[in-house]
Amino acid sequence: MRGQGIRFGQVAASLGGVLLIWWAVTAWGGVNPVLVPGPAVVWAAAVELWADGTMGSDLRVSLGRAAVGFGIGSVLGVLVGLLTARTRILGAAVTPVLTLLRPIPAIALVPLAIVWFGIGEGSKWFVISYTVFLAVWLNTHHGAAHVAGTYIRASRSLGAGRLREFFEVVVPAAAPHIVAGLRMGAALAFLSLVAAELTGASAGIGFRIQEARQFMQTEVMFVNLILLGVLGALLDALFVALANRLVHWEQL
Amino acid sequence: MAGLVECSGTAIRFKARGGGWTEALAATDLRLAPGSFTALIGPSGCGKSTLLNAIAGFVPLAGGGVAVDGAQVTGPSPEVGVVFQQYALFPWFTARGNVEFALRRLGLPRAERQARAEASLAEVGLHGRGGAWPGQLSGGMKQRVALARTLAAQPKVLLMDEPFGALDAQTRATMHELLLGVWERRRTTVLFVTHDVDEALTLADRIHVMASGPGRIIETIELGDRAARQGLDYLANRNRIIGLLRHARPHGDET
Repeated sequence: MRGQGIRFGQVAASLGGVLLIWWAVTAWGGVNPVLVPGPAVVWAAAVELWADGTMGSDLRVSLGRAAVGFGIGSVLGVLVGLLTARTRILGAAVTPVLTLLRPIPAIALVPLAIVWFGIGEGSKWFVISYTVFLAVWLNTHHGAAHVAGTYIRASRSLGAGRLREFFEVVVPAAAPHIVAGLRMGAALAFLSLVAAELTGASAGIGFRIQEARQFMQTEVMFVNLILLGVLGALLDALFVALANRLVHWEQL
Repeated sequence: MAGLVECSGTAIRFKARGGGWTEALAATDLRLAPGSFTALIGPSGCGKSTLLNAIAGFVPLAGGGVAVDGAQVTGPSPEVGVVFQQYALFPWFTARGNVEFALRRLGLPRAERQARAEASLAEVGLHGRGGAWPGQLSGGMKQRVALARTLAAQPKVLLMDEPFGALDAQTRATMHELLLGVWERRRTTVLFVTHDVDEALTLADRIHVMASGPGRIIETIELGDRAARQGLDYLANRNRIIGLLRHARPHGDET
């Protein structure tokens, strides 16, 4: 409890400090308020975006896209990762290809996604789920390919068949890596969300930042950038809390 | 319930770094009588764990064979139980869950499986601790759970690979007593790998001394009837084994 209090105090002091510096710099008048709006202006913009429903619908649309992309990408990533790690032929065939795909950033896929899936939801889901898939596949593969040999030996000498070995030994032994991959995937879903919303969206946090550029509304940009940061941090904290219960023998 | 182990000309090679083969175990004959307690002792690299792994069915043979009650060993089986030095408990199962893992192949109803697991834990002195996670247990307790898990599968042969090597002297002495108690009740054939002379003399009724380069058995010491053992015999055997081990080390490796 005491540790949590200290951590809370640390977070409050850190964020408070940044807010103070931000306020001081903008109040001093040395910077152009059109380029760098002050905290009060940004807060007012946030309240307005919330009041007219823009923020609510942007959140709903963006979180929906991130959730669908994360869902598709993580399910495929776990399945493919387990397969490539535990079947030698598949691993040998697929691993080099996926290693080649890894360095390609999500934003570079956007034009292709538009050609393939149009400017509807499909292209957004594709970009997000592809990014999530790679991270989850990589971690799952690593975890499932490096299960301690003594676990396998123990399992076999205790009379477990291959099916039980897979579900009761390999999968739980790889679980800490799988969960780490899912955590990374959740963060990447947010990062690629903005790239995905470059594919001609009409709502969403990433789209709103783009749109604000056309009207020079830096305060709207600030609101949505901060929103992305807060959402990502909250999601990660939620994920860690959940993961530490799920793979309780190995704390993240 | 028998438990006769016969190794005849059992040889094992490993791929060496940079190509070629290393002879880990030269053609070795070994017979473990049903219900006997045998210790393998030797310096590291003498192939004592390799020989144990061969009987467990963990490593392919380069020559010869291993048979348990006349049937060739082709892979791991629940008839040959193994207790590992690193415990190898599954941290995602509770102590009871680990024991139940061994019982699952019997296809018992859930309630009976749980009751049997609890009974196995009670046998190693962990009555009522079935709900504990391995991470919450001390090294000695973990090894008790591992022993309970292995015994629950009702093996004919119990292979133990330096199982108490990581424990402190006090805990090790307690575990020796516990293990001898279990063995006297069940009369499972035991093969116990160790590098501790006193541990071998305390537990076994026959000790094979091994040497390295290539791994082989260089001497067998019969300790005779447990009740009739004298302190002077103990010292004589101890000195003899220590002398053998001194020569068993390759030159320039006097640590």
